[in-house]
Amino acid sequence: MSAPPREPSAAAPEGAAATPDGSDLTTRSAVAARGSLHAPTARSWRALLEPVLIVAIGAGWMVYVRNTHLDSIAARVLTLDYVTRKTWEHVELTVVATLIVLVIAIPLGVLLSRSFARPATPFVLAVANIGQSAPAIGVVVLLAVIFGIGFWTAIVALVAYGVLPALRNTMVGLQQVDPTLTDAGRGIGMSATRVLTRVELPLATPVILAGIRTTLVLMVGTASIASFISGGGLGDLVTTGVSTQRTPVLLTGCILIALLALLVDWVGGMAARYLAPKGL
Amino acid sequence: MNFWEYLSSRRELLTFETWQHASMVFQCVVAALLIGVLIGLAVYRSETLSKFATSTAGVVFTVPSLALLGLLITPLGLGVAPSVVALTLYSLLPIVRNTIVGLAGVDRTLVDAARGIGMNRGRILLRVELPLAWPVILTGVRVATQLAMGIGAIAAYVSGPGLGEQIFSGLARLGGANSINMTLAGTLGIVILALIFDGCLMLIGRLTTPRGIRA
Amino acid sequence: MPDTLPDPSAGGDGEPRAGGAAASGPSETPGPAGPSEPAGPSEAALASAAQEPGAFSASGSSSERAAPSGASEPPGPSDRPDASGGPPGGEGGRDRAGIELINVTKRFPGQRTPAVDDVSLTIPGGEIVVLLGPSGSGKTTTMRLINRLIEPTSGRIIVAGREAMGLDPNELRRHIGYVIQNAGLFPHMTVGTNVGLVPQMLGWDKKRIAERVDELLRLVDLPPEQFRDRYPRELSGGQQQRVGVARALGADPPAMLMDEPFGALDPITRERLQDELLQLQEELGKTIVFVTHDVDEALKLGDRIAILDKGSRIVQYATPQEILLNPADEYVEQFLGGAQAMKLLKFSRVADVPLQQVPQARPEDDAAAVRERIGTADDSFAIVLDGRSRPVRWITAADLEGVTGPIGERGEPAATPIRARNTLQQALEALIQIEHEWVPVVGPRGVYRGTVTLATLQNAIKEMKEQAKARRRQDRTAAP
Repeated sequence: MSAPPREPSAAAPEGAAATPDGSDLTTRSAVAARGSLHAPTARSWRALLEPVLIVAIGAGWMVYVRNTHLDSIAARVLTLDYVTRKTWEHVELTVVATLIVLVIAIPLGVLLSRSFARPATPFVLAVANIGQSAPAIGVVVLLAVIFGIGFWTAIVALVAYGVLPALRNTMVGLQQVDPTLTDAGRGIGMSATRVLTRVELPLATPVILAGIRTTLVLMVGTASIASFISGGGLGDLVTTGVSTQRTPVLLTGCILIALLALLVDWVGGMAARYLAPKGL
Repeated sequence: MNFWEYLSSRRELLTFETWQHASMVFQCVVAALLIGVLIGLAVYRSETLSKFATSTAGVVFTVPSLALLGLLITPLGLGVAPSVVALTLYSLLPIVRNTIVGLAGVDRTLVDAARGIGMNRGRILLRVELPLAWPVILTGVRVATQLAMGIGAIAAYVSGPGLGEQIFSGLARLGGANSINMTLAGTLGIVILALIFDGCLMLIGRLTTPRGIRA
Repeated sequence: MPDTLPDPSAGGDGEPRAGGAAASGPSETPGPAGPSEPAGPSEAALASAAQEPGAFSASGSSSERAAPSGASEPPGPSDRPDASGGPPGGEGGRDRAGIELINVTKRFPGQRTPAVDDVSLTIPGGEIVVLLGPSGSGKTTTMRLINRLIEPTSGRIIVAGREAMGLDPNELRRHIGYVIQNAGLFPHMTVGTNVGLVPQMLGWDKKRIAERVDELLRLVDLPPEQFRDRYPRELSGGQQQRVGVARALGADPPAMLMDEPFGALDPITRERLQDELLQLQEELGKTIVFVTHDVDEALKLGDRIAILDKGSRIVQYATPQEILLNPADEYVEQFLGGAQAMKLLKFSRVADVPLQQVPQARPEDDAAAVRERIGTADDSFAIVLDGRSRPVRWITAADLEGVTGPIGERGEPAATPIRARNTLQQALEALIQIEHEWVPVVGPRGVYRGTVTLATLQNAIKEMKEQAKARRRQDRTAAP
């Protein structure tokens, strides 16, 4: 994708969602963001059904797997304590990485969308695109080679991987703001900063929020790879399961990662819905 | 051994793995294109079915690739099978969704006009709806291809074919002499492949999109 | 095709409508059979195109269009029924290009009231019938029943003498032109491909399609060299709609359905396209069903207007004059929105009023004979026509005093003629501006028809009023 759409239009809605191994290849256009395909459904009870269901499935699986016959290796791993710790590590990786990504990407995106930086925009977007075609696992391992293994390397890898799509989302979000509205803002005497804070950012919020949601899901997926470089998280269950050939362990890891991703996506969706300015 | 030396010393293996990677991605995306467009065609006329298809797609899409691969090796074992299934599944999703969005996005008045001048259903589909939805579907294919490239790397973890093998070898020899060369070769190889594929798809898009609807 | 080019002298108004004045017109008046006139090369090509082997069009269009040529009683393409005409509908013989709806009802599932309720409507061949009504009056639904884009729940539909329900709907639609708002051109196809779609579906060979496309583009005033290979989005709205019309004419269908085709255009373009449609119609004599909610558009274009109310009932089906002079009920009156008298002037055509006839002469005529024809009255004169029967000069007896031999270039140049298709309002304007009391009226190709004076107009209006009064006295049950 070396030619990002400048103006998202209904005619060419881009596929947009967090991608499983963490490559967000597309620009979440305004349209795609609005018509989010797996957004929580309209009614609140149904919106609440999803997380309840996710947690219930997770709990149900744990109860089931603990009650099947487990050999000592599997039993040692599949304690509630261990699994909870790994889940928490996963959440930690995800949240810390996402926060850092946002702290870097949003201000940078705003900066790059200012008029003086406009000439650089295509260049940045092109780099973002190329960066995204790098496989997550490659980035993670390369950084491990450079920085050694561990939690913070994992964080660096996650951030390195997540910052480009988030940056692009911010830029696209700001770019798609109707220029007549910014014009109108200037026309009634707003300063450039005021136009940014009162007009551009609020109007770009839906796209930026959609970007945050994408980043979150991306980070969950990439965090599962972090276990390859001893970053912790639920990926440990998968690697343990594969290396010890214990299917229950492997399945537990996979199921919990999948459920966590869905849950995080739900949270992102709710945030996108309730944090967006009313009237958009 | 520096990177270039590494490349030339493993030229044969690297060429083979690159070819494997490209071929796997290509085949999975083509399969996904066929299945995805068919699914899209089957559901796009019903809003309920479309919603169902896209939200199902969305859910599977959200599942991280490592988790999906792990889930697939239980029934399919290690090797090519889980890799191909996972790749096809992930590729399916953007294609299905974009097919639905593309077909649903075709201006209803155009379909009405087509009926009005006496086109039958098949002709309307072939001459009006699919051509107009094509750019959107192709975007889905591009997304799917890039996706499949990246996931193809992780497939090596379940002994799938392709350049991911280099990355995992690098990981296994972490701190070893060729570790960085291997990882770099795998990563860059995939980036380059992805760019080549994307370029080809863009070219195809250019050639197959009539001037009248080109952005 | 010079005939379809906008007439510069009439400000794009183009050729007048043929017919209508036949009763009072001079003998040279080319019959009202506009399309049968030997016209440009495209006319011939059109005729040949009409020989489409497809059964439907063969019976529906080619023979239809060939028949009236030279015949003295045409089923009247563009034969605007005059104001005095009886109940509308030349139902006389089976109308082979006309459309008939017989007790047609359409009920959509899950709706209590039918969208179209037991509608019967006869659309005479070669006429423009406007379905006029507010939104929700079922006018579009009614129109879409004709080409079966909506299948009727019950009732019969006869198109060009054939039961529509007995035909393959796609085949039917290929032989009924269909024009919609915003043209509905396929954006991924060139203008040429769009226009050639129907012929292509009918299996014409490439060369014939290409010729047909060029011909149609010329017909709608878009030079093919320039427009054939463009894409719709490179065209203005008005140009797109012209292409839409050209596409609808693809296989030379006997009938055309137009669903608010000019609704989305700016007023100036709309006016122009309306004029061009009339001009085209004069030439092609299609049976046109035109849906609009714009009263002025209906009055301007319609040979007949069917006014629909909210309950999708046809409250009045009559000529524009009839409707203006004698609205069936309050609803119609309200819908017309008042100012009927001015509308009468604005929408009645010169062709609809009895023209004044004066003696005619040719430059080569003998002066004495002409003098005799002019007679002795003070204000009488003769009109001098050129070789193509166009008025060039007028001449009085005084001018010919003592002249022998051909009258030649004597007399004074005639005023710029007005066209039979011009409105009474335009005629009035012309009469007020020029120095003498009369203006010549010309038909297609500038052929002389008669003259108009202020008195002519006055009489015409008086006549219309009296008819209306008489009608009102009789009974109020207007046409179906």
